[in-house]
Amino acid sequence: MSGHDSKYFTTTKKGEIHELKEELNSQFKDKKKDAVKKVIAAMTVGKDVSMLFTDVVNCMQTENLELKKLVYLYLINYAKSQPDLAILAVNTFVKDSQDPNPLIRALAVRTMGCIRVDKITEYLCDPLQKCLKDDDPYVRKTAAICVAKLFDINPELVEDRGFLETLKDLISDSNPMVVANAVAALSEIQESTTKLIFDLNSNVLFKLLAALNECTEWGQVFILDSLSRYKAKDARDAESIVERVTPRLQHANCAVVLSSVKVIMQQLELITSTDVVRNLMKKMAPPLVTLLSAEPEIQYVALRNINLIVQKRPTILAHEIKVFFCKYNDPIYVKLEKLEIMIKLASDRNIDQVLLEFKEYATEVDVDFVRKAVRAIGRCAIKLERAAERCINVLLDLIKIKVNYVVQEAIIVIKDIFRRYPNTYESIIATLCESLDTLDEPEAKASMIWIIGEYADRIDNADELLESFLETFPEEPAQVQLQLLTAAVKLFLKKPTEGPQQMIQVVLNNATQETDNPDLRDRAYVYWRLLSTDPEAAKDVVLAEKPVISDDSNQLDPSLLDELLGNISTLSSVYHKPPEVFVSRTKVVPLRDEEELEVESGPEESSGPAPPVQGLPTPTGLPKPAPVNDLLGDLMGLDVNSDGGPAPASPAARTAPPKPILLQASAAQGLQISGQMVRKNGQIFYDLTFDNQGTVPLDGFMIQFNKNTFGLAAGSPLQLPTIAPGSSAATELPMIPLQNLPPPGTPLAATLQVAVKNNQQPVWYFADKLPLQAVFLEDGRIERGQFLETWKSLPDSNEVLKELKDTVIPNVDILLEKLNASNAFFIARRLLKETNQDVLYLSVKLPPNLPLLVELTFAVGDPGVKVAVKTSSTEYAPLFFDAIDELIKSI
Amino acid sequence: MGILFTKLFANLFGDREARILVLGLDNAGKTTILYRLQVGEVVSTIPTIGFNVETVAYKNIKFQVWDLGGQTSIRPYWRCYFPNTQAVIYVVDSSDTDRMSIAKEEFHAILQEEELKDAVILVYANKQDLPGALDDAAVSEGLSLHMIKNRQWAIFKTSAIKGEGLFEGLDWLSDTLKQRGR
Repeated sequence: MSGHDSKYFTTTKKGEIHELKEELNSQFKDKKKDAVKKVIAAMTVGKDVSMLFTDVVNCMQTENLELKKLVYLYLINYAKSQPDLAILAVNTFVKDSQDPNPLIRALAVRTMGCIRVDKITEYLCDPLQKCLKDDDPYVRKTAAICVAKLFDINPELVEDRGFLETLKDLISDSNPMVVANAVAALSEIQESTTKLIFDLNSNVLFKLLAALNECTEWGQVFILDSLSRYKAKDARDAESIVERVTPRLQHANCAVVLSSVKVIMQQLELITSTDVVRNLMKKMAPPLVTLLSAEPEIQYVALRNINLIVQKRPTILAHEIKVFFCKYNDPIYVKLEKLEIMIKLASDRNIDQVLLEFKEYATEVDVDFVRKAVRAIGRCAIKLERAAERCINVLLDLIKIKVNYVVQEAIIVIKDIFRRYPNTYESIIATLCESLDTLDEPEAKASMIWIIGEYADRIDNADELLESFLETFPEEPAQVQLQLLTAAVKLFLKKPTEGPQQMIQVVLNNATQETDNPDLRDRAYVYWRLLSTDPEAAKDVVLAEKPVISDDSNQLDPSLLDELLGNISTLSSVYHKPPEVFVSRTKVVPLRDEEELEVESGPEESSGPAPPVQGLPTPTGLPKPAPVNDLLGDLMGLDVNSDGGPAPASPAARTAPPKPILLQASAAQGLQISGQMVRKNGQIFYDLTFDNQGTVPLDGFMIQFNKNTFGLAAGSPLQLPTIAPGSSAATELPMIPLQNLPPPGTPLAATLQVAVKNNQQPVWYFADKLPLQAVFLEDGRIERGQFLETWKSLPDSNEVLKELKDTVIPNVDILLEKLNASNAFFIARRLLKETNQDVLYLSVKLPPNLPLLVELTFAVGDPGVKVAVKTSSTEYAPLFFDAIDELIKSI
Repeated sequence: MGILFTKLFANLFGDREARILVLGLDNAGKTTILYRLQVGEVVSTIPTIGFNVETVAYKNIKFQVWDLGGQTSIRPYWRCYFPNTQAVIYVVDSSDTDRMSIAKEEFHAILQEEELKDAVILVYANKQDLPGALDDAAVSEGLSLHMIKNRQWAIFKTSAIKGEGLFEGLDWLSDTLKQRGR
């Protein structure tokens, strides 16, 4: 670049950042403040204003609280990106933490906690220490939270400086808000460490209970959450806690209510007096009911928690079932949760009311809800024996409406009812059979078929009914096929007449020969053998009495239930999953005041991120830096590493120069293959070494090549002896071009995909680089005149250029010798006087008959070779550039 | 008419705040000097990790005084404060003879700065109250002040604890800056 071009790099435009910089350094306070506001605005919309760091930090020492807050905000955002410069803010923090104004002291200590820069954390300890013992409770409570933040950054520092002790002292603070925050901080710290830091003893307990009534609602939540972890010594201890907590149930904040419920639920376990328990349960009902008059989102959270509570203690809300009746305008997620709780609360006393509701729901428009309602009726029937008949009547009423999906859902639940109460209600089968033709869902079909099979002896035309299903047997889903098979067997065992006998033959044939579903086939074989050996035994097996079922859908395991009850009012109780399933505890989440609000985030998050699996390589670590890394190789997890390091010293490789490894022993059960394509005496050979690092001898090697650009194929079978473990064998496989061409139009590729198999191992695939120089033809030499003519006859668009920047040609004569040996023929040489560069003209011929005209421009001994190729098929040029580069580098 | 006059005065005496940097090695007494100038008292200080900035009004001139931390770790960031600086007060601990050569190096590095080429240099040979403190001539020698060319400078014996010499230096500074303003 000539000198006067430098003007393009200096611009008269200074830009927004420069303007802001000037304004930040302005004399005038208003201008300064406006500038900081502009900076914050830019930061908020995502512009990078980190280069203004010092200028903004210089505005930090100001009387103006607004300006100070803005600068602090900026610091929180950018301290991490400017860790060195962040140190400039330390002195101001120290000063501000001694400011007469408690608001500024608290602001300073809060901001300090948010700056996660290792270099400055230690400077912040002294101010923090002072603030923890500040006269003003607002400062103390802020400092308490700051300890938890600091613990997240540097736990050792917190322990060394004795902050934990100071924090524990704060539990005895006179101000309840300070107590609450100290508790919050200690709980947060406790969660991130295995050491016992926050020991809830009776002494602490007393202080927490004392602070409970006076602190803010969120403070109450923190305290209550800690209380729920307290293990009461005995019933009296538990009773006294509950007594102090019960008034919190009246609180307007639902988080406080739920946390109180959590504490009471925990302590109820220990209380033995039935009177006290009954009394408490009576007190818990109204607040829970009240939660259901809040917004739908809160209702949902409340319902998920109530779901847990009623599983543990159904009596709490036994009389309140009416509040769980769905309103027409409830969102669907609330309706479904209410349905679930209604089933749990249904009893002999209220079942009529409940059934009326369910019947109503079953006629609504939302298909999903209708189905759930029909199922609910079935589940009530299974749960309440005395109400089963009433439930069935409702179901029959619904079937009569002849709404397809209602009918199908009803049949599915009636199947369950038949299982629960065998031989009781088969009189309704006739009604069910009327809807036989309308069934199109697999589950409904399978259920109907099961009913037919189970009651084959009571249904006169059972064989006809099954026959109608059998016509479509091969097309049915597996679920239906399995049921058809079983039903046919049952029918045959119950009515061993001619019709069923033919039918069973057809079904067994179909199921064993016409299917590729192993489950179906295996079951068919089992039946077949059973029937052919001993039909009586078959009867005992197939028609055996079935165990009674109960409704346990959506029922949680008792230990899980207890764990979830301990987590009431958290995401865990909404997901119905223990916290460790969806939060990884290895790293603590920074504590925020609005933490409790997380509970309200919707159900769509129900599949929380799985905790990261340790010990697995990250996907980014997978690709190997090999130039021939093709997608295929990557996908198959192969180690394509043809340029890679020297091959491990195997006996065969010790004498010959190491060949690139094509297949790693680690990826192929100990078989390592190395090799490269070479050209000898006008023929291409694939020089391969097989190294057996495994434990068994390998023999019967075969090799296959995928279709490739030059159609290379093996010219003879692979000749290899049996390779014993720990030894290796080498071979030169002759290759014949133009045998194995890809379909026309396939893009050129420099890779050769190879498959190798032997008698002991599965087929291994690997990819090798297809070196263009291996296919240069011997008869590629042309005369000078012809070269010139051809060069001129080809249009300029057929010329492709590339500069090999790092390639050096040390000696022209050696190069020419090497090129000649590789069938790249020298035509002419020219010297460019003004640049002292050499120009070589070469000719090369590719199979079947494609001449390439080549021009190399370079200065001997200097890096950088310009390659120009002129040919009628320029798509070979990139491959040629790689080949010539390799040839030059191999001298 | 009144407005016109105030504007006139403003220009004369410079309503602009003169931007002054207080530099020097750690424990030279920079922060003590700053607060002695500002509130007239000796305040207890801790090492300044970062900076202090205060406005000091003296003789109709408002000085915006930036006291920068002298720790080795912070010295590299002094340069962030160099632009638009009218004067540098370089504070030397006169009793710290061991580190006089380091003080000299830092001082001459500052003099080399392009952004400070127009700044007036005021040197405080501080801590005169301590026994064994070098006097102003010896400090001048130690800092090689005679090598300063093309620049206005002065050195004063000071004791921030006793409040001696500080305002004499400030007098010189305000006079010098006023002259330049014209």
